Amino acid sequence: MASSIKYPDSSCLYFLEGDSLALVTNVDSSGTQNTSLRKRWKAIQEAVTDGLLLWYHAEPNNITSINDTPDIDNALHYPIIDFVKRCLYMDRAGASPDPNTSSVAMNMAQFHENKWNEGLRRYGMRKRDKVGGTRAIKPPDLT
Amino acid sequence: MAVHSLTVKQILSRVRQVFPDAPEAYVISLINDALTEAGLYNVKTVHAKLTTVADQMWYDLGDESYSSDGTAYKLDLNKLFRVYFMDSTGDYIQIPRLLDKDLLLTDISSESALVGPDTK
Repeated sequence: MASSIKYPDSSCLYFLEGDSLALVTNVDSSGTQNTSLRKRWKAIQEAVTDGLLLWYHAEPNNITSINDTPDIDNALHYPIIDFVKRCLYMDRAGASPDPNTSSVAMNMAQFHENKWNEGLRRYGMRKRDKVGGTRAIKPPDLT
Repeated sequence: MAVHSLTVKQILSRVRQVFPDAPEAYVISLINDALTEAGLYNVKTVHAKLTTVADQMWYDLGDESYSSDGTAYKLDLNKLFRVYFMDSTGDYIQIPRLLDKDLLLTDISSESALVGPDTK
C-alpha cells in the first residue's frame, strides 16, 4: 500500500538517536500540510506497509556448521585464518610453562595479527571496492 | 567462473597444519569473533524494509530488531547510510537526514516505543 505523501523528499525527515530511528513528517494522514508552525514536524500519521527502505552496513551472519562459508567477501577469507592462528598462538603462549616456547608463540601471534590487520584494515577496502577504471584528473577547459 | 572461497572446513584444515589438536567448536567460535570484528569495517551492505506505524515516531534499529518484509529477518544493522520512503505512487524516494535534532515536539504516542529505564 502506497503512502499518501506525494513528495517524501521534502515532507519526511529522519534522524538517529542511539539504536533508534525517528521518522517525522510535516503532512497529515491525508497528505495535507500541517498548519501549526509549532507542531509542523510530527510522527508519521499513517501505517505504510514496508514504507521505509533502509540501506545499511550489516554484521556478517555467524557460522554454525563446518560446511558454512563465512558471510563476507572471499578476499577476506584468508585473513580469517590469520585471526584464528593469532588467537591459538596467544593461547599457546599463555599456557606454555617454557619461556622460549611462549616467546616464539607470542612472536607468531604478532605476525598473524599484523597479517589480519593488513588484510582487513589496510587492503580490505581496496579488495571490496567495486569502482573500476583508470583514475584521471580532467583539466578545466580554459578556452 | 566460480569464485574461490573457503569453507570453515578448509579454514580448519589450514589451521590444523600448525595446530593439529585445535578443537572444531573453538575454531568456529574464533571465526565468529573474526566475523564480528570484520563487521566493524563495512564488509556487508544490505537493504531492508520497515513498516511504519501511525503516530509512531521512533523505530528500533537495535541488535534484536527485525525487518518487516517477507519472512522478517534480523536487521543486524551497524551503520545506516540511506533511507527511502514510499511515496503516493508506491516508489521509494530518498529522504534527508535531519542534523539539528532539537525538534519542538516528541510525539506522545511514540514514547511507549522507546526503551524504558533499565530496571535490572
